[in-house]
Amino acid sequence: MTDLPMPAVVKPRRRRKRIDLFPYLMIAPICLLLAAVTVYPTLKAIELAMTDASLLRLQRATFIGIANFKRMLGDQVFLDGLWRTLRWDVAVVSLELAVALPIALFLNLNFRGRGFVRAAMMVPYITPPAVVGLLFLYMFDGNFGVVNDLLVRAGVLDGYVAWMSSPTASFWIVVSAMVWYGTPLMALILLAALQTIPGELYEAAQVDGASPWSQFLNITIPHIMPTVFFLLLLRMIWMSNHIDMIFVMTGGGPGFSNHTEAVYSFMLTNQFQIGYASAIAVVLAAMLMFVSAFYVRHLARNVLVNAS
Amino acid sequence: MSTKRRKSAVPRRMLIGLGAFVILFYSLAPLLWIFVASITPEHTANFDRAWLSNRQVTYFPDSPTVANYVSLFATVPFGTYFRNSTIIAGGNMILTLVIASLGAYGFVRFRFFGRSSFLVATLVAYTIPSVVLLVPLLVIFRTYGLNNTHFGMVLAEATHSAPFVLLLLINYFSTLPRDLDEAAQVDGCGRLKVLWRIILPLSLPGLVAGGLLAFIMTWNNFLFAFLLTSTAEVKTLPVIMRQFALGEPAVWGVSAAGAIVSTLPVALIFLLFQRMLMSGLAAGAVKG
Repeated sequence: MTDLPMPAVVKPRRRRKRIDLFPYLMIAPICLLLAAVTVYPTLKAIELAMTDASLLRLQRATFIGIANFKRMLGDQVFLDGLWRTLRWDVAVVSLELAVALPIALFLNLNFRGRGFVRAAMMVPYITPPAVVGLLFLYMFDGNFGVVNDLLVRAGVLDGYVAWMSSPTASFWIVVSAMVWYGTPLMALILLAALQTIPGELYEAAQVDGASPWSQFLNITIPHIMPTVFFLLLLRMIWMSNHIDMIFVMTGGGPGFSNHTEAVYSFMLTNQFQIGYASAIAVVLAAMLMFVSAFYVRHLARNVLVNAS
Repeated sequence: MSTKRRKSAVPRRMLIGLGAFVILFYSLAPLLWIFVASITPEHTANFDRAWLSNRQVTYFPDSPTVANYVSLFATVPFGTYFRNSTIIAGGNMILTLVIASLGAYGFVRFRFFGRSSFLVATLVAYTIPSVVLLVPLLVIFRTYGLNNTHFGMVLAEATHSAPFVLLLLINYFSTLPRDLDEAAQVDGCGRLKVLWRIILPLSLPGLVAGGLLAFIMTWNNFLFAFLLTSTAEVKTLPVIMRQFALGEPAVWGVSAAGAIVSTLPVALIFLLFQRMLMSGLAAGAVKG
Protein backbone atom coordinates (compact mmCIF):
# COMPACT_ATOMS: atom_id res chain seq x y z
CA MET A 1 0.00 0.00 0.00
CA THR A 2 2.91 2.35 0.73
CA ASP A 3 4.08 2.54 -2.86
CA LEU A 4 0.66 3.40 -4.23
CA PRO A 5 0.61 6.95 -5.52
CA MET A 6 -2.76 7.94 -4.12
CA PRO A 7 -3.61 5.81 -1.10
CA ALA A 8 -6.26 8.29 0.02
CA VAL A 9 -8.30 7.49 -3.03
CA VAL A 10 -7.74 3.75 -3.04
CA LYS A 11 -8.55 3.18 0.62
CA PRO A 12 -12.22 4.18 0.77
CA ARG A 13 -13.08 2.11 -2.28
CA ARG A 14 -11.56 -0.94 -0.63
CA ARG A 15 -13.43 -0.30 2.62
CA ARG A 16 -16.75 -0.19 0.91
CA LYS A 17 -16.13 -3.49 -0.80
CA ARG A 18 -15.77 -5.76 2.26
CA ILE A 19 -16.40 -5.51 5.94
CA ASP A 20 -13.37 -5.11 8.15
CA LEU A 21 -13.44 -8.14 10.43
CA PHE A 22 -10.69 -6.98 12.77
CA PRO A 23 -12.86 -5.13 15.35
CA TYR A 24 -15.25 -8.07 15.45
CA LEU A 25 -12.31 -10.35 16.22
CA MET A 26 -11.34 -8.03 19.05
CA ILE A 27 -14.72 -8.04 20.74
CA ALA A 28 -15.51 -11.68 19.95
CA PRO A 29 -13.88 -13.28 23.01
CA ILE A 30 -15.63 -11.16 25.61
CA CYS A 31 -18.96 -11.22 23.78
CA LEU A 32 -18.85 -15.00 23.37
CA LEU A 33 -17.88 -15.51 26.98
CA LEU A 34 -20.66 -13.26 28.24
CA ALA A 35 -23.12 -14.97 25.94
CA ALA A 36 -22.07 -18.33 27.36
CA VAL A 37 -22.06 -17.44 31.04
CA THR A 38 -24.81 -14.82 31.27
CA VAL A 39 -27.15 -14.68 28.27
CA TYR A 40 -27.53 -18.41 27.74
CA PRO A 41 -27.98 -19.11 31.49
CA THR A 42 -30.62 -16.38 31.71
CA LEU A 43 -32.64 -18.00 28.94
CA LYS A 44 -32.08 -21.35 30.59
CA ALA A 45 -33.38 -19.92 33.88
CA ILE A 46 -36.62 -18.89 32.21
CA GLU A 47 -36.93 -22.33 30.67
CA LEU A 48 -36.25 -24.06 34.01
CA ALA A 49 -38.76 -21.80 35.74
CA MET A 50 -41.49 -23.43 33.68
CA THR A 51 -40.53 -26.97 34.61
CA ASP A 52 -40.67 -29.08 37.74
CA ALA A 53 -36.92 -29.73 37.43
CA SER A 54 -35.08 -31.17 40.37
CA LEU A 55 -31.34 -31.62 40.50
CA LEU A 56 -31.86 -35.25 41.46
CA ARG A 57 -33.74 -36.12 38.26
CA LEU A 58 -32.71 -33.48 35.80
CA GLN A 59 -33.41 -35.57 32.70
CA ARG A 60 -37.02 -36.20 33.65
CA ALA A 61 -38.00 -32.55 34.14
CA THR A 62 -41.37 -31.87 32.58
CA PHE A 63 -42.89 -28.65 31.32
CA ILE A 64 -45.53 -27.37 33.71
CA GLY A 65 -46.19 -23.92 32.28
CA ILE A 66 -46.90 -21.26 34.81
CA ALA A 67 -47.64 -23.66 37.67
CA ASN A 68 -44.53 -22.49 39.56
CA PHE A 69 -45.70 -18.90 39.36
CA LYS A 70 -49.15 -19.86 40.61
CA ARG A 71 -47.56 -21.75 43.46
CA MET A 72 -45.82 -18.56 44.60
CA LEU A 73 -49.13 -16.80 45.13
CA GLY A 74 -50.07 -19.39 47.72
CA ASP A 75 -46.60 -19.74 49.21
CA GLN A 76 -46.42 -17.92 52.53
CA VAL A 77 -42.60 -17.97 52.59
CA PHE A 78 -42.56 -16.26 49.21
CA LEU A 79 -45.21 -13.69 50.11
CA ASP A 80 -43.57 -12.80 53.42
CA GLY A 81 -40.28 -12.78 51.55
CA LEU A 82 -41.38 -9.69 49.64
CA TRP A 83 -41.66 -7.74 52.88
CA ARG A 84 -38.46 -9.28 54.26
CA THR A 85 -36.59 -8.27 51.09
CA LEU A 86 -37.83 -4.71 51.31
CA ARG A 87 -37.04 -4.52 55.03
CA TRP A 88 -33.51 -5.80 54.39
CA ASP A 89 -32.97 -3.36 51.49
CA VAL A 90 -34.16 -0.32 53.38
CA ALA A 91 -32.35 -1.18 56.61
CA VAL A 92 -28.99 -1.83 54.93
CA VAL A 93 -29.06 0.98 52.41
CA SER A 94 -30.24 3.72 54.76
CA LEU A 95 -27.77 2.72 57.47
CA GLU A 96 -24.96 2.57 54.92
CA LEU A 97 -25.75 6.08 53.81
CA ALA A 98 -26.01 7.28 57.40
CA VAL A 99 -22.53 5.95 58.15
CA ALA A 100 -20.91 6.70 54.80
CA LEU A 101 -21.90 10.36 54.49
CA PRO A 102 -20.18 11.54 57.69
CA ILE A 103 -17.09 9.51 56.77
CA ALA A 104 -17.01 11.05 53.30
CA LEU A 105 -17.48 14.58 54.68
CA PHE A 106 -14.69 13.99 57.16
CA LEU A 107 -12.30 12.62 54.55
CA ASN A 108 -13.04 15.62 52.37
CA LEU A 109 -11.30 17.85 54.92
CA ASN A 110 -7.63 18.62 54.55
CA PHE A 111 -5.50 17.07 57.22
CA ARG A 112 -2.25 15.19 57.59
CA GLY A 113 -2.61 11.42 57.37
CA ARG A 114 -5.80 11.64 55.34
CA GLY A 115 -4.52 9.07 52.83
CA PHE A 116 -3.85 6.65 55.66
CA VAL A 117 -7.30 7.06 57.19
CA ARG A 118 -8.90 6.68 53.78
CA ALA A 119 -7.01 3.45 53.10
CA ALA A 120 -7.90 2.05 56.53
CA MET A 121 -11.53 3.02 55.94
CA MET A 122 -11.57 0.79 52.85
CA VAL A 123 -10.34 -2.33 54.66
CA PRO A 124 -13.82 -3.74 55.49
CA TYR A 125 -14.73 -3.67 51.81
CA ILE A 126 -11.67 -5.75 50.92
CA THR A 127 -12.39 -8.34 53.60
CA PRO A 128 -14.13 -11.38 52.06
CA PRO A 129 -17.87 -11.23 52.96
CA ALA A 130 -17.71 -14.77 54.34
CA VAL A 131 -14.99 -13.60 56.73
CA VAL A 132 -17.10 -10.57 57.69
CA GLY A 133 -19.93 -12.94 58.54
CA LEU A 134 -17.59 -15.02 60.68
CA LEU A 135 -16.28 -11.87 62.40
CA PHE A 136 -19.72 -10.67 63.39
CA LEU A 137 -20.86 -14.12 64.50
CA TYR A 138 -17.77 -14.23 66.65
CA MET A 139 -18.39 -10.83 68.19
CA PHE A 140 -22.02 -11.62 68.95
CA ASP A 141 -21.44 -15.18 70.09
CA GLY A 142 -23.56 -16.30 73.02
CA ASN A 143 -20.72 -17.88 74.95
CA PHE A 144 -17.63 -15.84 74.34
CA GLY A 145 -18.77 -12.85 72.28
CA VAL A 146 -17.25 -9.49 73.03
CA VAL A 147 -20.61 -7.73 72.74
CA ASN A 148 -22.13 -9.81 75.51
CA ASP A 149 -19.09 -9.22 77.67
CA LEU A 150 -19.13 -5.45 77.18
CA LEU A 151 -22.88 -5.19 77.76
CA VAL A 152 -22.68 -7.24 80.94
CA ARG A 153 -19.77 -5.15 82.18
CA ALA A 154 -21.69 -1.98 81.41
CA GLY A 155 -24.61 -3.35 83.40
CA VAL A 156 -27.03 -3.38 80.45
CA LEU A 157 -27.45 -7.13 80.52
CA ASP A 158 -27.57 -9.53 83.43
CA GLY A 159 -26.27 -12.53 81.56
CA TYR A 160 -25.08 -13.62 78.15
CA VAL A 161 -27.65 -13.66 75.37
CA ALA A 162 -27.69 -16.07 72.40
CA TRP A 163 -28.29 -13.27 69.90
CA MET A 164 -28.38 -15.31 66.74
CA SER A 165 -31.32 -17.43 67.84
CA SER A 166 -33.61 -14.40 68.04
CA PRO A 167 -35.24 -13.44 64.72
CA THR A 168 -35.05 -9.70 65.41
CA ALA A 169 -31.55 -9.64 66.85
CA SER A 170 -30.14 -11.90 64.14
CA PHE A 171 -31.65 -9.67 61.46
CA TRP A 172 -29.98 -6.58 62.87
CA ILE A 173 -26.68 -8.36 63.36
CA VAL A 174 -26.64 -9.48 59.73
CA VAL A 175 -27.60 -5.92 58.73
CA SER A 176 -24.74 -4.48 60.74
CA ALA A 177 -22.29 -6.94 59.20
CA MET A 178 -23.52 -5.94 55.75
CA VAL A 179 -23.32 -2.24 56.59
CA TRP A 180 -19.80 -2.64 57.91
CA TYR A 181 -18.82 -4.40 54.70
CA GLY A 182 -20.62 -2.10 52.26
CA THR A 183 -20.10 1.36 53.74
CA PRO A 184 -16.56 1.98 52.42
CA LEU A 185 -17.57 1.79 48.77
CA MET A 186 -20.41 4.20 49.36
CA ALA A 187 -18.14 6.56 51.29
CA LEU A 188 -15.55 6.41 48.51
CA ILE A 189 -18.10 7.30 45.84
CA LEU A 190 -19.59 10.10 47.95
CA LEU A 191 -16.09 11.41 48.56
CA ALA A 192 -15.44 11.45 44.82
CA ALA A 193 -18.66 13.44 44.38
CA LEU A 194 -17.73 15.88 47.15
CA GLN A 195 -14.37 16.51 45.56
CA THR A 196 -15.97 17.71 42.35
CA ILE A 197 -17.67 20.62 44.13
CA PRO A 198 -15.73 23.76 43.21
CA GLY A 199 -14.10 25.39 46.25
CA GLU A 200 -15.05 28.88 45.04
CA LEU A 201 -18.66 28.16 45.92
CA TYR A 202 -17.75 27.82 49.57
CA GLU A 203 -15.47 30.85 49.45
CA ALA A 204 -18.25 32.96 47.96
CA ALA A 205 -20.68 31.68 50.58
CA GLN A 206 -18.22 32.55 53.33
CA VAL A 207 -17.85 36.05 51.99
CA ASP A 208 -21.62 36.33 52.14
CA GLY A 209 -21.46 35.21 55.75
CA ALA A 210 -23.18 31.87 55.34
CA SER A 211 -22.83 29.54 58.31
CA PRO A 212 -21.16 26.13 57.82
CA TRP A 213 -24.55 24.49 58.30
CA SER A 214 -26.26 26.56 55.64
CA GLN A 215 -23.29 25.98 53.32
CA PHE A 216 -23.80 22.27 53.85
CA LEU A 217 -27.52 22.51 53.14
CA ASN A 218 -27.31 24.85 50.17
CA ILE A 219 -24.10 23.83 48.44
CA THR A 220 -23.01 20.36 49.49
CA ILE A 221 -26.35 18.57 49.58
CA PRO A 222 -27.65 19.78 46.19
CA HIS A 223 -24.34 18.86 44.56
CA ILE A 224 -24.17 15.32 45.84
CA MET A 225 -27.89 14.63 45.51
CA PRO A 226 -27.68 12.93 42.08
CA THR A 227 -24.89 10.66 43.34
CA VAL A 228 -26.83 9.84 46.50
CA PHE A 229 -29.95 9.00 44.54
CA PHE A 230 -27.98 6.85 42.16
CA LEU A 231 -26.20 5.05 44.99
CA LEU A 232 -29.44 4.32 46.83
CA LEU A 233 -30.96 2.88 43.68
CA LEU A 234 -27.95 0.73 42.88
CA ARG A 235 -27.53 -0.55 46.42
CA MET A 236 -31.23 -1.42 46.62
CA ILE A 237 -30.88 -3.56 43.51
CA TRP A 238 -27.72 -5.14 44.87
CA MET A 239 -29.16 -5.82 48.28
CA SER A 240 -32.29 -7.43 46.83
CA ASN A 241 -29.96 -9.90 45.14
CA HIS A 242 -27.67 -10.34 48.07
CA ILE A 243 -27.32 -13.82 49.50
CA ASP A 244 -23.80 -14.31 50.91
CA MET A 245 -24.00 -12.52 54.21
CA ILE A 246 -27.46 -13.75 55.20
CA PHE A 247 -26.72 -17.30 54.15
CA VAL A 248 -23.31 -17.52 55.82
CA MET A 249 -24.50 -16.00 59.09
CA THR A 250 -27.99 -17.47 59.49
CA GLY A 251 -28.77 -19.91 56.67
CA GLY A 252 -31.97 -17.87 56.36
CA GLY A 253 -33.04 -18.70 59.90
CA PRO A 254 -34.02 -18.89 62.65
CA GLY A 255 -37.06 -20.41 60.98
CA PHE A 256 -37.76 -18.43 57.82
CA SER A 257 -37.14 -15.10 59.52
CA ASN A 258 -34.24 -14.09 57.26
CA HIS A 259 -35.54 -15.56 54.01
CA THR A 260 -35.40 -12.71 51.54
CA GLU A 261 -36.50 -13.74 48.04
CA ALA A 262 -32.90 -14.22 46.93
CA VAL A 263 -32.08 -16.32 49.97
CA TYR A 264 -35.27 -18.33 49.54
CA SER A 265 -34.38 -19.12 45.94
CA PHE A 266 -30.90 -20.12 47.03
CA MET A 267 -32.17 -22.34 49.83
CA LEU A 268 -34.51 -24.09 47.38
CA THR A 269 -31.55 -24.63 45.06
CA ASN A 270 -29.71 -26.28 47.90
CA GLN A 271 -32.73 -28.51 48.40
CA PHE A 272 -32.49 -29.44 44.70
CA GLN A 273 -35.86 -27.83 43.81
CA ILE A 274 -34.30 -25.91 40.96
CA GLY A 275 -37.46 -25.42 38.92
CA TYR A 276 -39.25 -23.47 41.63
CA ALA A 277 -35.99 -21.77 42.68
CA SER A 278 -35.54 -20.50 39.11
CA ALA A 279 -39.10 -19.26 39.00
CA ILE A 280 -38.56 -17.17 42.13
CA ALA A 281 -35.26 -15.83 40.82
CA VAL A 282 -36.88 -14.88 37.52
CA VAL A 283 -39.74 -13.08 39.27
CA LEU A 284 -37.27 -11.22 41.50
CA ALA A 285 -35.19 -10.24 38.48
CA ALA A 286 -38.25 -9.08 36.58
CA MET A 287 -39.25 -6.84 39.48
CA LEU A 288 -35.77 -5.40 39.65
CA MET A 289 -35.67 -4.93 35.91
CA PHE A 290 -37.89 -1.86 36.21
CA VAL A 291 -35.36 -0.25 38.46
CA SER A 292 -32.29 -1.50 36.68
CA ALA A 293 -33.51 -0.48 33.22
CA PHE A 294 -33.00 3.04 34.47
CA TYR A 295 -29.47 2.18 35.53
CA VAL A 296 -28.62 0.44 32.27
CA ARG A 297 -29.76 3.48 30.33
CA HIS A 298 -27.61 5.77 32.42
CA LEU A 299 -24.63 3.42 32.12
CA ALA A 300 -25.09 3.01 28.38
CA ARG A 301 -25.22 6.73 27.77
CA ASN A 302 -22.06 7.20 29.81
CA VAL A 303 -20.13 4.41 28.15
CA LEU A 304 -21.15 5.38 24.66
CA VAL A 305 -19.93 8.91 25.35
CA ASN A 306 -16.71 7.64 26.88
CA ALA A 307 -15.96 5.18 24.14
CA SER A 308 -16.24 7.70 21.34
CA MET B 1 -17.04 22.69 54.73
CA SER B 2 -13.39 22.30 53.75
CA THR B 3 -10.50 24.16 55.33
CA LYS B 4 -11.92 26.93 57.38
CA ARG B 5 -10.28 29.25 59.80
CA ARG B 6 -11.55 28.66 63.28
CA LYS B 7 -10.66 30.83 66.22
CA SER B 8 -7.72 28.64 67.15
CA ALA B 9 -6.06 25.70 65.48
CA VAL B 10 -6.00 23.43 68.52
CA PRO B 11 -9.69 22.40 68.76
CA ARG B 12 -9.81 21.70 65.04
CA ARG B 13 -6.80 19.41 65.29
CA MET B 14 -8.35 17.64 68.24
CA LEU B 15 -11.61 17.16 66.38
CA ILE B 16 -9.74 15.82 63.37
CA GLY B 17 -7.82 13.44 65.60
CA LEU B 18 -11.02 12.27 67.23
CA GLY B 19 -12.74 11.74 63.88
CA ALA B 20 -9.77 9.84 62.50
CA PHE B 21 -9.69 7.66 65.60
CA VAL B 22 -13.39 6.84 65.33
CA ILE B 23 -13.06 5.85 61.67
CA LEU B 24 -9.97 3.76 62.33
CA PHE B 25 -11.59 2.04 65.28
CA TYR B 26 -14.80 1.34 63.39
CA SER B 27 -12.98 -0.05 60.38
CA LEU B 28 -10.24 -2.04 62.03
CA ALA B 29 -11.47 -3.12 65.46
CA PRO B 30 -13.37 -6.23 64.29
CA LEU B 31 -10.32 -7.47 62.42
CA LEU B 32 -8.04 -6.71 65.37
CA TRP B 33 -10.46 -8.58 67.59
CA ILE B 34 -10.33 -11.68 65.43
CA PHE B 35 -6.56 -11.37 65.24
CA VAL B 36 -6.39 -11.42 69.04
CA ALA B 37 -8.63 -14.50 68.98
CA SER B 38 -6.31 -16.19 66.54
CA ILE B 39 -3.30 -15.83 68.83
CA THR B 40 -5.17 -16.78 71.99
CA PRO B 41 -4.31 -20.31 73.07
CA GLU B 42 -7.24 -22.69 72.82
CA HIS B 43 -7.94 -24.53 76.03
CA THR B 44 -9.46 -27.46 74.24
CA ALA B 45 -7.81 -27.54 70.87
CA ASN B 46 -9.19 -31.00 70.43
CA PHE B 47 -11.03 -31.51 67.20
CA ASP B 48 -13.03 -34.45 68.50
CA ARG B 49 -14.26 -32.98 71.73
CA ALA B 50 -14.07 -29.23 71.33
CA TRP B 51 -15.64 -27.73 74.41
CA LEU B 52 -17.00 -24.34 73.49
CA SER B 53 -17.89 -23.00 76.88
CA ASN B 54 -14.31 -23.33 77.92
CA ARG B 55 -13.44 -20.33 75.81
CA GLN B 56 -13.44 -16.99 77.58
CA VAL B 57 -13.64 -13.45 76.32
CA THR B 58 -9.98 -12.54 76.08
CA TYR B 59 -8.80 -9.04 75.29
CA PHE B 60 -5.09 -9.59 75.82
CA PRO B 61 -3.91 -13.19 75.75
CA ASP B 62 -1.36 -13.93 78.50
CA SER B 63 0.68 -16.20 76.32
CA PRO B 64 0.20 -15.43 72.62
CA THR B 65 0.65 -18.45 70.42
CA VAL B 66 0.84 -19.43 66.77
CA ALA B 67 -0.55 -22.88 67.58
CA ASN B 68 -3.88 -22.01 65.91
CA TYR B 69 -2.11 -21.18 62.65
CA VAL B 70 -0.14 -24.40 62.84
CA SER B 71 -3.21 -26.56 63.37
CA LEU B 72 -5.03 -24.62 60.65
CA PHE B 73 -2.63 -26.01 58.10
CA ALA B 74 -2.04 -29.34 59.84
CA THR B 75 -5.60 -30.39 60.74
CA VAL B 76 -7.74 -28.56 58.19
CA PRO B 77 -6.41 -28.91 54.61
CA PHE B 78 -6.19 -25.14 54.52
CA GLY B 79 -3.19 -25.17 52.21
CA THR B 80 -5.31 -26.85 49.51
CA TYR B 81 -8.10 -24.28 49.82
CA PHE B 82 -5.59 -21.46 49.73
CA ARG B 83 -4.08 -22.93 46.58
CA ASN B 84 -7.54 -23.26 44.97
CA SER B 85 -8.40 -19.65 45.71
CA THR B 86 -5.08 -18.55 44.25
CA ILE B 87 -5.48 -20.59 41.07
CA ILE B 88 -9.07 -19.47 40.47
CA ALA B 89 -8.53 -15.80 41.31
CA GLY B 90 -5.26 -15.68 39.36
CA GLY B 91 -6.75 -17.51 36.38
CA ASN B 92 -9.73 -15.21 36.37
CA MET B 93 -7.47 -12.17 36.53
CA ILE B 94 -5.49 -13.29 33.47
CA LEU B 95 -8.55 -14.34 31.45
CA THR B 96 -10.36 -11.12 32.28
CA LEU B 97 -7.43 -8.88 31.42
CA VAL B 98 -6.87 -10.55 28.05
CA ILE B 99 -10.45 -10.54 26.82
CA ALA B 100 -11.33 -7.17 28.33
CA SER B 101 -8.35 -5.37 26.83
CA LEU B 102 -9.04 -6.87 23.40
CA GLY B 103 -12.70 -5.93 23.73
CA ALA B 104 -12.03 -2.41 24.97
CA TYR B 105 -9.57 -1.86 22.12
CA GLY B 106 -12.19 -2.98 19.62
CA PHE B 107 -14.91 -0.79 21.11
CA VAL B 108 -12.85 2.35 21.64
CA ARG B 109 -10.70 2.49 18.53
CA PHE B 110 -12.93 1.15 15.79
CA ARG B 111 -16.25 2.08 14.24
CA PHE B 112 -18.13 -0.90 12.94
CA PHE B 113 -21.64 -2.03 12.24
CA GLY B 114 -23.47 -2.99 15.43
CA ARG B 115 -20.87 -1.43 17.71
CA SER B 116 -23.21 0.34 20.09
CA SER B 117 -25.62 -2.61 20.14
CA PHE B 118 -22.83 -4.93 21.22
CA LEU B 119 -21.70 -2.45 23.83
CA VAL B 120 -25.17 -2.07 25.29
CA ALA B 121 -25.58 -5.86 25.22
CA THR B 122 -22.47 -6.29 27.38
CA LEU B 123 -23.91 -3.74 29.81
CA VAL B 124 -27.18 -5.60 30.03
CA ALA B 125 -25.23 -8.81 30.64
CA TYR B 126 -23.39 -6.98 33.42
CA THR B 127 -26.60 -6.03 35.17
CA ILE B 128 -28.25 -9.46 35.09
CA PRO B 129 -28.61 -10.34 38.78
CA SER B 130 -26.49 -13.27 39.86
CA VAL B 131 -29.51 -14.87 41.57
CA VAL B 132 -30.90 -15.71 38.14
CA LEU B 133 -27.61 -17.18 36.98
CA LEU B 134 -27.02 -19.52 39.92
CA VAL B 135 -29.40 -22.35 39.03
CA PRO B 136 -28.82 -22.46 35.26
CA LEU B 137 -25.04 -22.23 35.70
CA LEU B 138 -25.22 -25.18 38.05
CA VAL B 139 -27.24 -27.17 35.50
CA ILE B 140 -25.07 -26.16 32.55
CA PHE B 141 -21.84 -26.83 34.41
CA ARG B 142 -23.04 -30.28 35.42
CA THR B 143 -24.01 -31.05 31.85
CA TYR B 144 -20.61 -30.10 30.48
CA GLY B 145 -18.61 -31.47 33.40
CA LEU B 146 -17.37 -28.03 34.41
CA ASN B 147 -18.43 -28.14 38.04
CA ASN B 148 -15.65 -29.09 40.44
CA THR B 149 -13.01 -27.87 38.04
CA HIS B 150 -10.77 -24.85 38.40
CA PHE B 151 -11.43 -23.92 34.79
CA GLY B 152 -15.18 -23.90 35.31
CA MET B 153 -14.80 -21.67 38.35
CA VAL B 154 -12.63 -19.25 36.38
CA LEU B 155 -15.37 -19.00 33.73
CA ALA B 156 -18.17 -18.58 36.27
CA GLU B 157 -16.36 -15.79 38.09
CA ALA B 158 -15.88 -13.98 34.78
CA THR B 159 -19.63 -13.24 34.75
CA HIS B 160 -19.05 -10.21 36.93
CA SER B 161 -15.34 -9.48 36.64
CA ALA B 162 -15.13 -9.41 32.82
CA PRO B 163 -17.78 -6.71 32.18
CA PHE B 164 -16.47 -4.68 35.11
CA VAL B 165 -12.92 -4.67 33.77
CA LEU B 166 -14.19 -4.04 30.24
CA LEU B 167 -15.94 -0.86 31.37
CA LEU B 168 -12.90 0.23 33.35
CA LEU B 169 -10.58 -0.27 30.37
CA ILE B 170 -12.99 1.44 27.95
CA ASN B 171 -12.79 4.49 30.21
CA TYR B 172 -9.04 4.21 30.35
CA PHE B 173 -8.31 3.59 26.67
CA SER B 174 -10.52 6.45 25.57
CA THR B 175 -8.33 8.92 27.47
CA LEU B 176 -5.30 7.98 25.35
CA PRO B 177 -4.70 10.24 22.34
CA ARG B 178 -5.31 8.63 18.97
CA ASP B 179 -2.30 10.35 17.40
CA LEU B 180 -0.06 7.80 19.09
CA ASP B 181 -1.65 4.80 17.38
CA GLU B 182 -1.73 6.60 14.07
CA ALA B 183 1.97 7.47 14.39
CA ALA B 184 2.75 3.86 15.21
CA GLN B 185 0.72 2.63 12.26
CA VAL B 186 2.61 4.95 9.96
CA ASP B 187 5.78 3.38 11.33
CA GLY B 188 4.48 0.01 10.20
CA CYS B 189 2.87 -1.40 13.34
CA GLY B 190 -0.06 -3.74 12.74
CA ARG B 191 -3.27 -3.02 14.59
CA LEU B 192 -2.74 -5.75 17.13
CA LYS B 193 0.80 -4.53 17.66
CA VAL B 194 -0.52 -1.03 18.36
CA LEU B 195 -2.53 -2.48 21.22
CA TRP B 196 0.43 -4.42 22.55
CA ARG B 197 3.14 -1.81 22.05
CA ILE B 198 1.33 1.49 22.54
CA ILE B 199 -1.99 1.19 24.32
CA LEU B 200 -1.30 -1.46 26.92
CA PRO B 201 1.97 0.05 28.20
CA LEU B 202 0.31 3.47 28.45
CA SER B 203 -2.66 2.13 30.38
CA LEU B 204 -0.63 0.13 32.88
CA PRO B 205 -2.33 1.73 35.93
CA GLY B 206 -5.74 0.84 34.49
CA LEU B 207 -4.62 -2.73 33.80
CA VAL B 208 -3.21 -3.09 37.30
CA ALA B 209 -6.41 -1.75 38.84
CA GLY B 210 -8.68 -3.89 36.66
CA GLY B 211 -6.64 -7.05 37.09
CA LEU B 212 -6.28 -6.74 40.83
CA LEU B 213 -9.92 -5.85 41.35
CA ALA B 214 -10.88 -8.93 39.33
CA PHE B 215 -8.55 -10.94 41.56
CA ILE B 216 -10.04 -9.53 44.75
CA MET B 217 -13.64 -10.00 43.55
CA THR B 218 -12.97 -13.61 42.68
CA TRP B 219 -11.01 -14.30 45.84
CA ASN B 220 -13.88 -12.96 47.94
CA ASN B 221 -16.80 -14.45 46.03
CA PHE B 222 -18.74 -17.00 47.98
CA LEU B 223 -21.85 -17.94 45.99
CA PHE B 224 -20.44 -19.51 42.84
CA ALA B 225 -17.73 -21.24 44.83
CA PHE B 226 -20.28 -22.67 47.23
CA LEU B 227 -22.66 -23.84 44.54
CA LEU B 228 -20.27 -25.12 41.89
CA THR B 229 -17.72 -26.93 44.03
CA SER B 230 -18.20 -29.87 46.31
CA THR B 231 -14.79 -31.48 46.57
CA ALA B 232 -11.85 -30.27 48.63
CA GLU B 233 -9.78 -30.21 45.44
CA VAL B 234 -11.63 -27.12 44.17
CA LYS B 235 -13.26 -25.52 47.23
CA THR B 236 -12.11 -21.99 47.92
CA LEU B 237 -11.50 -20.09 51.14
CA PRO B 238 -14.93 -18.39 51.47
CA VAL B 239 -16.58 -21.83 51.38
CA ILE B 240 -14.38 -22.93 54.26
CA MET B 241 -15.20 -19.72 56.11
CA ARG B 242 -18.85 -20.76 56.04
CA GLN B 243 -17.96 -24.16 57.45
CA PHE B 244 -16.12 -22.36 60.21
CA ALA B 245 -19.13 -20.12 60.79
CA LEU B 246 -21.30 -23.20 61.19
CA GLY B 247 -18.89 -24.33 63.87
CA GLU B 248 -16.96 -27.13 62.25
CA PRO B 249 -14.34 -27.57 63.51
CA ALA B 250 -15.67 -25.96 66.68
CA VAL B 251 -12.34 -24.43 67.54
CA TRP B 252 -12.70 -20.68 67.31
CA GLY B 253 -9.01 -19.93 67.54
CA VAL B 254 -8.42 -21.95 64.39
CA SER B 255 -11.39 -20.35 62.61
CA ALA B 256 -10.03 -16.94 63.55
CA ALA B 257 -6.61 -17.86 62.19
CA GLY B 258 -8.33 -19.00 58.99
CA ALA B 259 -10.15 -15.68 58.71
CA ILE B 260 -6.89 -13.77 59.10
CA VAL B 261 -5.07 -15.91 56.53
CA SER B 262 -7.95 -15.55 54.02
CA THR B 263 -8.03 -11.79 54.40
CA LEU B 264 -4.32 -11.09 54.44
CA PRO B 265 -3.51 -11.55 50.70
CA VAL B 266 -6.26 -9.25 49.45
CA ALA B 267 -5.67 -6.72 52.22
CA LEU B 268 -1.97 -6.56 51.32
CA ILE B 269 -2.73 -6.21 47.61
CA PHE B 270 -5.14 -3.43 48.40
CA LEU B 271 -2.82 -1.51 50.70
CA LEU B 272 0.08 -1.77 48.23
CA PHE B 273 -1.91 -0.54 45.24
CA GLN B 274 -4.56 1.48 47.07
CA ARG B 275 -4.43 4.61 44.96
CA MET B 276 -4.94 2.83 41.66
CA LEU B 277 -7.56 0.48 43.10
CA MET B 278 -9.61 3.22 44.70
CA SER B 279 -9.82 5.27 41.53
CA GLY B 280 -10.71 2.09 39.63
CA LEU B 281 -13.47 1.26 42.10
CA ALA B 282 -14.95 4.73 42.05
CA ALA B 283 -14.88 4.86 38.25
CA GLY B 284 -16.23 1.36 37.73
CA ALA B 285 -19.05 1.76 40.19
CA VAL B 286 -20.46 5.11 39.21
CA LYS B 287 -19.43 6.17 35.79
CA GLY B 288 -19.55 2.70 34.34
